[in-house]
Amino acid sequence: MTPELEHRTPPPVLAARGISKSFPGVRALDRVDLEVAEGEVHAVLGQNGAGKTTLMNILFGLIHPDEGEVYLRGRRVRFRSPHDALASGIGMVHQTRRLVPAHTVLENLVLGHPRARGLLDLRRARQELEALCARYGVHVDLGARVWQLSEGEKQWVEILKALYAGVRILILDEPTSALTPPEVQALLRALRALVDQDGVTVVLVTHKLPVVRAVARTVTVLRAGRVAARLSVSDTTDHELVQHMVGQEVTLPTVQAPDHRGPVVLEVEDLSAYNDKGVLSLRGVSLTVHEGEIVGVAGVTGNGQEELAQVLAGLRPAVSGRVRLLGRDVTHLPTLDRWRLGLGYVPAERTEVASVAALSLVENTGLNYHFDPEFCPRGMLDRARLERLTRQILATFRVKAPHPYVRAQHLSGGNLQKLVLGRVLSRQPRLLVAHLPTQGLDVEAASFVRAQLLEAKARGAAVLLISEDLDEIFAVSDRVGALYEGRFVALVPRNEADPETVGAWMAGSLGRRA
Amino acid sequence: MNELLARSLEASTVFLLAALGELVNQRSGILNVGLEGLMLFGGTAAFLVAQSTGSYPAGLAAGIAVGGLLGWIHGLFSIRLRGDQVVSGMGLWILSFGLTTYLGSPHTGPLGLPRFPALVGLSPFVYCGTLLVAAVWFVLSRTSLGLAIRSVGESPAAAAASGVNVAGIRYLCVVFGGTLAGLAGAAYTLSYNPVWNYNFLMGWGFVSLALVFFSMWNPWVLLGGSVLFGAMWQLSLSPEYVLPGVLSRYVWRTVPFGVTIAILTVISTPWFRTRWGLAKPQALGVPYTD
Amino acid sequence: MRIGAYRLSVERAEAPSPPRVALGALLAVALALLLASVLFWTPESGPWTAYRIAFGYAFANPSGLGATVHRAVYLLLCTLAFLIPLRGGLWNIGLPGQVYAGALAAFAVPFWAGARELGSGTAGGVALLSMPLAAALAGASLGALVGLLRAKLAVNEILVTMMLNSVMFWLVSDFIKEGGAFMSATAEGESFTLPEAFRPPLPLGLPPSAFLGLAAAVVVDFVFSRAAAGYRVRTFGLNPQAARYAGIDPVRVSLWVFVLGGAFSGLAGYHYFAAVPGLYKIPTNYGYYGDLSFYGIICALIARGSAVGAVPMALLFAGLSVGGRFAQGALRLPFGVDYAILGLLMTTFVFSHLVDRYRVVWRRTAPAPTSAPPRPEGAR
Repeated sequence: MTPELEHRTPPPVLAARGISKSFPGVRALDRVDLEVAEGEVHAVLGQNGAGKTTLMNILFGLIHPDEGEVYLRGRRVRFRSPHDALASGIGMVHQTRRLVPAHTVLENLVLGHPRARGLLDLRRARQELEALCARYGVHVDLGARVWQLSEGEKQWVEILKALYAGVRILILDEPTSALTPPEVQALLRALRALVDQDGVTVVLVTHKLPVVRAVARTVTVLRAGRVAARLSVSDTTDHELVQHMVGQEVTLPTVQAPDHRGPVVLEVEDLSAYNDKGVLSLRGVSLTVHEGEIVGVAGVTGNGQEELAQVLAGLRPAVSGRVRLLGRDVTHLPTLDRWRLGLGYVPAERTEVASVAALSLVENTGLNYHFDPEFCPRGMLDRARLERLTRQILATFRVKAPHPYVRAQHLSGGNLQKLVLGRVLSRQPRLLVAHLPTQGLDVEAASFVRAQLLEAKARGAAVLLISEDLDEIFAVSDRVGALYEGRFVALVPRNEADPETVGAWMAGSLGRRA
Repeated sequence: MNELLARSLEASTVFLLAALGELVNQRSGILNVGLEGLMLFGGTAAFLVAQSTGSYPAGLAAGIAVGGLLGWIHGLFSIRLRGDQVVSGMGLWILSFGLTTYLGSPHTGPLGLPRFPALVGLSPFVYCGTLLVAAVWFVLSRTSLGLAIRSVGESPAAAAASGVNVAGIRYLCVVFGGTLAGLAGAAYTLSYNPVWNYNFLMGWGFVSLALVFFSMWNPWVLLGGSVLFGAMWQLSLSPEYVLPGVLSRYVWRTVPFGVTIAILTVISTPWFRTRWGLAKPQALGVPYTD
Repeated sequence: MRIGAYRLSVERAEAPSPPRVALGALLAVALALLLASVLFWTPESGPWTAYRIAFGYAFANPSGLGATVHRAVYLLLCTLAFLIPLRGGLWNIGLPGQVYAGALAAFAVPFWAGARELGSGTAGGVALLSMPLAAALAGASLGALVGLLRAKLAVNEILVTMMLNSVMFWLVSDFIKEGGAFMSATAEGESFTLPEAFRPPLPLGLPPSAFLGLAAAVVVDFVFSRAAAGYRVRTFGLNPQAARYAGIDPVRVSLWVFVLGGAFSGLAGYHYFAAVPGLYKIPTNYGYYGDLSFYGIICALIARGSAVGAVPMALLFAGLSVGGRFAQGALRLPFGVDYAILGLLMTTFVFSHLVDRYRVVWRRTAPAPTSAPPRPEGAR
């Protein structure tokens, strides 16, 4: 921290001093200081796993620090729960939505409101909220159920909720991650208005430099649970910020996958499916994936990507349409037979779906091999063989695990993801369906995963990559497309589109076609 | 015939009271499959206390207190210790089943007090149950507390982020559920059938639990369901009103249980689920870790 | 709690080690017996007199020992019936109903052979063999119903099995009371007595179902630890979503665990009512025997899903209930000593769960060096 900076900024409205927090086996925060000045947008920048969310959860009273103090307008505060934080005028919009999906927008906005005691006065609340919406130019149907809203609308509901509760300090945790580019622009405009017109203080947690550049005045960079730098945004360069974020130069493995597109492996024709709520959310999708090709599918969560992946894996019935794998109609084939035919599926939920927390890594490998006669002669699991394979995967995929008999629940997200990918790829699948394979991973792990996708392609696999990260899609795909409301807006060779165009597709507009 | 109607309504009330408590419980996300155990224990406590003191109020108080205490224990295990709610519920049921058999068996037989006073020909529990339905409906749908309860059952993380005390609300509901289960047991042993017998409920609690699922977590539907089941139960005890001489009386006794399975099956079909199934509290039975 | 630079706290233990689990089980049993001793405390005799009498009868008295062993086999079969679905994450509390179904089916064989009227009848090996088979089949079909409803429609298996318990309870009454088909010609409210010819041989004093039960325990453990089928059931029990991902058919798993569980319960019904000396009929108080089957739940839970580990548990609880009944008569204790112990065991089991899920930790509160990698966000 430079002395000049201190002179220029007014005294902090919110400050944290010497915050440390450990979770079993991990020191998430190590003597972290944070100072936020009144009426500014203060960015907290850092990679995944740097401790940003943990720090914010402490400021909001959701978790308690092992050490350190939090000061509000110079007075030490101890929040026992979010209730205390809200009562002191601090609100938080979490990275994952904290709304009750089955309730109406209005009910969600009223829940926990300081004035909500005794009888519910929904009529009065509705009037007040309509005024608030008008003030910020937000259009949300107060009577709609939250599960019917888009991600962008849900985020607005959360911001409205904080404003309605009268917060003066608003913490936003990765607010842009689920938004389309136009929605991001609208959000940033509104944030500027909030700060300039109403004097609200905003703490913005992000790992995206353009977002910091667009709205923040000062930035605190976290790296591995420590403060790497505290800077004024106008006085720094992107390069400097990246260096603080990443620390030393990271050497990313690069794989050059030669292009030798082979015959069609996956052929999807006019495929439709219902989601869990019984709504038709995949509506007539067609695509082909060839041997030695990666097709990247972009889209904002909830536009049919999950349903597409699950229908391909046989985990969700198709309402209409056809799926052909290696020329064979597999539309109604059970999951197990698809695995046998050469499907490899990496689902988005690595802890809930792709692994069993209470089983050892060796037994988790069994998930992909319990049907394989080589690993189960005469119906008996060949443990020695499974263990050998697991050790091999741990080594090749650089999974940090003490031994192959540790339970899956003890692995961090990145290591678990590498393990899952390793398990699936060890089957040498002819078709690999990877859904959000790098979500929540740090830069190194993510680039390792991408390199593995390219290697699978080089070996001749057909790869369907479903991702929300446009950079990722453009880094590895041969063809790119975007799903919007269950349909492909477009699907074109990579060199015929740019990230901006695909971003527009994700929002449902055709944008500037190249 | 009037007598049959009055008895049916009284039986309905026993179902209703237990199920209403469990409904509030489940709206807050806590599943108590040991409902029958709470009723057994509450009913036995009410019976023993009423018999030894000769006082119905004392018996009622004992039943309610024991039910509330067991509800709190279930809360302790499933909220504070984040245990498996099915394990805890089953534990409470078997505990109650075992202990009440031991504690109550020396007192096997009739209560030996003057009949529980009636109000305009009906057991006072009938009125009490109906009023409670209205009260529960009002609290759940018209008050901030009700909104908090529903939110905690749907999405505890969202409720906590809104400043709602998740554990506090859940304790409140689980103790309320326990007291109503205790009251239901007391209504059975003091008024409906004031004769103590080992395992006297023989499945009433489990039927009540099923009624909560049938009700789509709506107190008014629950009231209707309870009335139907009370009538069916009473008829299964005296089948001569419907089809005299057809089948043995033992076969008739199986009817309410068979019907329960049939209804459970119907409400589990995809057809029914996509239309009505959204009423189920999302966080039901899931331990909440913040 | 803070003491100097250390803080004492109770934390969740991630994965209990096998010795801790065994310790937890032993503690649970010991604590239940300790608590039960309070119930047995009579002014004339201290709490230990009751246990001395109970265990003396159950394990040292020849007729008591016989009853104990026969009951232990019954409990073991019930344990298997509960344990197999439990490994698949499903609760089979329909043990009594399946036991009754097994008993009725077993008695149907001599009934059709005319044993009720003649009081004797001739039975070849076929009849002897078809009795346990019919019992297993009846239990299995009852289980299949539950399994199918669970698998196809996700109907709550606890409620369905409990409802079937009541249905079967009254059906047994229908068969043995008030002129029911199986009612004894001489006594009201109980079934006809099995003629000699339909009683199975007793090598080593034990019916064949006893050997079958023991062998099954070994096989069940082996299948769960080694076979792919057992692996599939365990995976489904621990994480049904992951099981589906791996291509494990949830319908088949739910169906088969309940079919097998039901079959073992049915066999238990055959064993206790038709194969062990001293009964050979469905008695008036068949409900008591049905209730005993709930000990199977406790055995399986305390043995943490190990069938062989449940064998000593079954023996202990069988001894407790047989001896408890005896001590109850000798000391004029209230009825239901065995029920009380059952209830207490369940409670202490629930708490033993905590013993291995939580641990007391001393932790230095001074900052520790940071060598551990950062925790990924959103992982908590």
